[in-house]
Amino acid sequence: MSNIKRRDLLKAGAGIAAGAAAPMIWVKNAYAQQWNNTPEKGAKLRVLRWSRFVQGDIDQYMKNVQAFTAKYGIEVRVDSESWEDVRPKAAVAANTGAGPDIILGTYDDANLYPEKLVEVTDLCNYLGKKYGGWYPACETYLKPDGKKWIGVPLGATGSMMVYRESQIKAAGFDSFPKDTDGFLKMMKALKDKGTPGGFALGHATGDANTWCHWLVWTFGGKMVDTSNKVVLDSPETIRALEYAKELYGTFIPGTLSWLDPNNNKAFLDGQVSVTNNGISIYYAAKNSKDPKINALQSDINHANYPAGPAGVSTACHLFMNQMIFKYTKYPKAAKEFLRFMMEDEQYGAWLQAGIGYTAQPLAAYEKNPIWSVDPKHTPYRDACKQLRPAGYAGKLGYASAGVLADFIIVDMVAEAASGSKSPKEAAERAQKRAERYYKV
Amino acid sequence: MHKLLDNKNALGLLFMLPAGALLLVFLTYPLGLGTWLGFTDAKIGRTGEWIGLENFQFLIGDSVARLSLFNTLFYTIVASVLKFVLGLWLALLLNRSLPFKSFLRAIVLLPFIVPTALSAIAFWWIYDSQFSVVSWTLVKMGLIDRYIDFLGDPWMARASVIIANIWRGVPFVAISLLAGLQTIPPSLYEASSIDGATPWQQFWNVTLPLLTPIIAVVMTFSVLFTFTDFQLIYVLTRGGPLNATHLMATLSFQRGIPGGALGEGAALAMLMVPFLLAAILFSYFGLQRRAWQQGGSDK
Amino acid sequence: MEYLQSLPRRWVTLYIPLGAFLVVLLFPFYWMVMTSFKSNEELAAKAANPFWIVKPTLEHFEKLLFRTEYPQWLWNTVLISTVATFLSLFCAVLAAYAIERLRFRGSRQVGLSIFFAYLVPPSILFIPLALIVFKLGLFDSPWALILTYPTFLVPFCTWLLMGYFRTIPYELEECALIDGATRWQILVKIMLPLAVPGLISAGIFAFTLSWNEFIYALTFISSSENKTVPVGVITELVEGDVYHWGALMAGALLGSLPVAILYSFFVEYYVSGMTGAVKE
Repeated sequence: MSNIKRRDLLKAGAGIAAGAAAPMIWVKNAYAQQWNNTPEKGAKLRVLRWSRFVQGDIDQYMKNVQAFTAKYGIEVRVDSESWEDVRPKAAVAANTGAGPDIILGTYDDANLYPEKLVEVTDLCNYLGKKYGGWYPACETYLKPDGKKWIGVPLGATGSMMVYRESQIKAAGFDSFPKDTDGFLKMMKALKDKGTPGGFALGHATGDANTWCHWLVWTFGGKMVDTSNKVVLDSPETIRALEYAKELYGTFIPGTLSWLDPNNNKAFLDGQVSVTNNGISIYYAAKNSKDPKINALQSDINHANYPAGPAGVSTACHLFMNQMIFKYTKYPKAAKEFLRFMMEDEQYGAWLQAGIGYTAQPLAAYEKNPIWSVDPKHTPYRDACKQLRPAGYAGKLGYASAGVLADFIIVDMVAEAASGSKSPKEAAERAQKRAERYYKV
Repeated sequence: MHKLLDNKNALGLLFMLPAGALLLVFLTYPLGLGTWLGFTDAKIGRTGEWIGLENFQFLIGDSVARLSLFNTLFYTIVASVLKFVLGLWLALLLNRSLPFKSFLRAIVLLPFIVPTALSAIAFWWIYDSQFSVVSWTLVKMGLIDRYIDFLGDPWMARASVIIANIWRGVPFVAISLLAGLQTIPPSLYEASSIDGATPWQQFWNVTLPLLTPIIAVVMTFSVLFTFTDFQLIYVLTRGGPLNATHLMATLSFQRGIPGGALGEGAALAMLMVPFLLAAILFSYFGLQRRAWQQGGSDK
Repeated sequence: MEYLQSLPRRWVTLYIPLGAFLVVLLFPFYWMVMTSFKSNEELAAKAANPFWIVKPTLEHFEKLLFRTEYPQWLWNTVLISTVATFLSLFCAVLAAYAIERLRFRGSRQVGLSIFFAYLVPPSILFIPLALIVFKLGLFDSPWALILTYPTFLVPFCTWLLMGYFRTIPYELEECALIDGATRWQILVKIMLPLAVPGLISAGIFAFTLSWNEFIYALTFISSSENKTVPVGVITELVEGDVYHWGALMAGALLGSLPVAILYSFFVEYYVSGMTGAVKE
């Protein structure tokens, strides 16, 4: 399968990159000659991006933007919206044919309106060659037909296991379990010790989707097969749901109402010992002026998801893309902007300033110091590398977007876990709901 | 020119012009398009083709959509009835002679003034399953021993959002009714009390009838806005838990925008129309029939 | 006739229920005020007393006022809400008078059709509406909002004013007509002054609805300096999954109090204006 070949390539690429001593030193000159692009004269760009998750992100991003303007004389205006609000605005832009030139989107936004986007195959080929290749998920999302790139991947925000070291030790576990059986044992022990965990089961677009998809996948279940036929209702899924039910018994109360910010608050207040989240909890602890919370940072650690019977430990982490819309007056300038922002000088600095919130889409950036400067950052490094798009294993498009937005998997897990439906019923219902979307 | 201006019809049309122009320009196309979209399979970024009633057929068979219909009716009826009763009561209270009257009347409006997006966030914390101040108080008072799961249990969540909606909407109803109460001449009360009427009889026979036109207007709008409520639910629960608080407006947004199925979202929004129309017509014809005010001949 | 009631009775029927209402309505504000003055550390702790502040701080207000574009947003929101309200009231007064008093041919149907504006909620309407806003070149300008807000303000104001106009005795107009007044004069000199409570009510709610509006403001405005308070505050003070509670509540407070104070003047106005003298 081409996937395996690609993985070998990536490993080789990483090997070469490792050969060049850190910090990253790329053979700039040889590759620079392959990129030929002159932005239009008098170009002006408008960029819409999601509002920063950490302050360092936007600070460095703006520095990069200013460097771009200084170099090319092109004025760039950057506007932010809350990350979930970018979607309606992108939808309006796609529908009305006017709006920002570049939009930084999430998940499979680009797959909803691929014909409205400027093709960026040359740019992506250039970047891929220069920086060790793109991870498979990037191609699934942004090279849907296998030939043309419809956007430039920006990276992914991992939502990993976040836990209190001291508390799992007190429950009898020296390290975070690597398999689902161990994980369940640990959660039970934590609950018995009065330090339960908690995972979001409300309509939390980030956290709930990530861990619920992990759960189904790690037991071998999936939404669709490669021909886009819905296969959600399967013995594997039902096993996952039974597991979820047992797990739910170890959670603190209230998780059915948890949206994305709830677990952050609860964790920092010491009410949960384990949850899944981006690196923002750790970051908040580090920067807190409250001595009690600040002290948490040495106790917080991160881990990848445990592997279940299917042997995989993957989740649908939040994928970020950069899209250029066809209505732009300056496609060349836009491409140049994206190229500039993805080059090491800018992107590498941005990765570091974002303190690990975003993981790179290109293999070479695995060597970025941010991942080694603090060992607690390392679990987040491979978020983009190991992520699976939420439409696994089929093709992405309206169906997969609809299914994700409607929280079909999250609702299924929540129904089974809380007992409001039996695992079999929950799976059947989810299957029916999903079939409606995939009948297209 | 004078003749023209005196001609009722011409003048009428002229007077309607500003409102008419604005609404025509900004609404006819979107409303028309919004309606048409419901009959197509339009997606975000892709114009759709006519598919007739297919969206509607699906929605009627979809359990989540049916649940949203139930939720919307439940939410609207309960919240509106309570808003009316509490609003009327508050208006009656504020109509009495009080110290600091105008100050009180102004601060009563506060829940309505705060931007909904922000007061919804505040309520979200007030309802938080770990941090709620209400739970904290009740625990300290010894009335309960565990924090209340306001938004995690389907029926609790429904009650919680209804309470938030009532909190936000009562000032609106109260102040509107208060202004209406102000136009009732005190002489009517004096005359009836001289005739021996009790306060309850006065309320029933003097206040209510005279207030009816205003009640009709205010409650119609309250029902309309409650039925199509979006922001509050979106912030508090996103329609959860398990879709228990999904209203038709929030579900149609979820299907249409993040879900990309614009046609289906529009169709779901259209399904609200019969109910809204019924509310409007009921109020317009039914309640206003009792306009035996001078100047309004019986319709 | 308040003097007819004994004091204990007043307590039971007036003060206690009123007090209960006030507590319920204002309690969230008390909490919001507390939150906006509490330091972040106190906010994060579950054990802390939510009703009291141990160490009050102005850092949230400072952050809001000096490190975001809040003052600009506040100004935008005031401007947009005020102009949209006046525009809507203007349209509504004329329309209400036309439908209610002029009774021109077709006025019943027109009066009813105005309400069709409410049949499709803004949460779906905003996309086709965005197209119009673009076509008219209004995107990212306050005018996009000033001209689109009346679509949900005018019907409400019109109907409210129709209700108020209906309570004004027709004889007043008849007399004026007999005396030779034009319709316009009647409207301006007789109807409007008598309908002042209605105008103020309608104005208050139009202003408030504009102030609170979210989805159109989100969609039609992009530049940070053109944003309104609800949109700007959410964008700036919600970092992904971390909510800056203190600053958010400070924003809510700062965004409401000036309006509340303004309202208190108007409330004064219509309280003193109408105590039934006219109707006799």
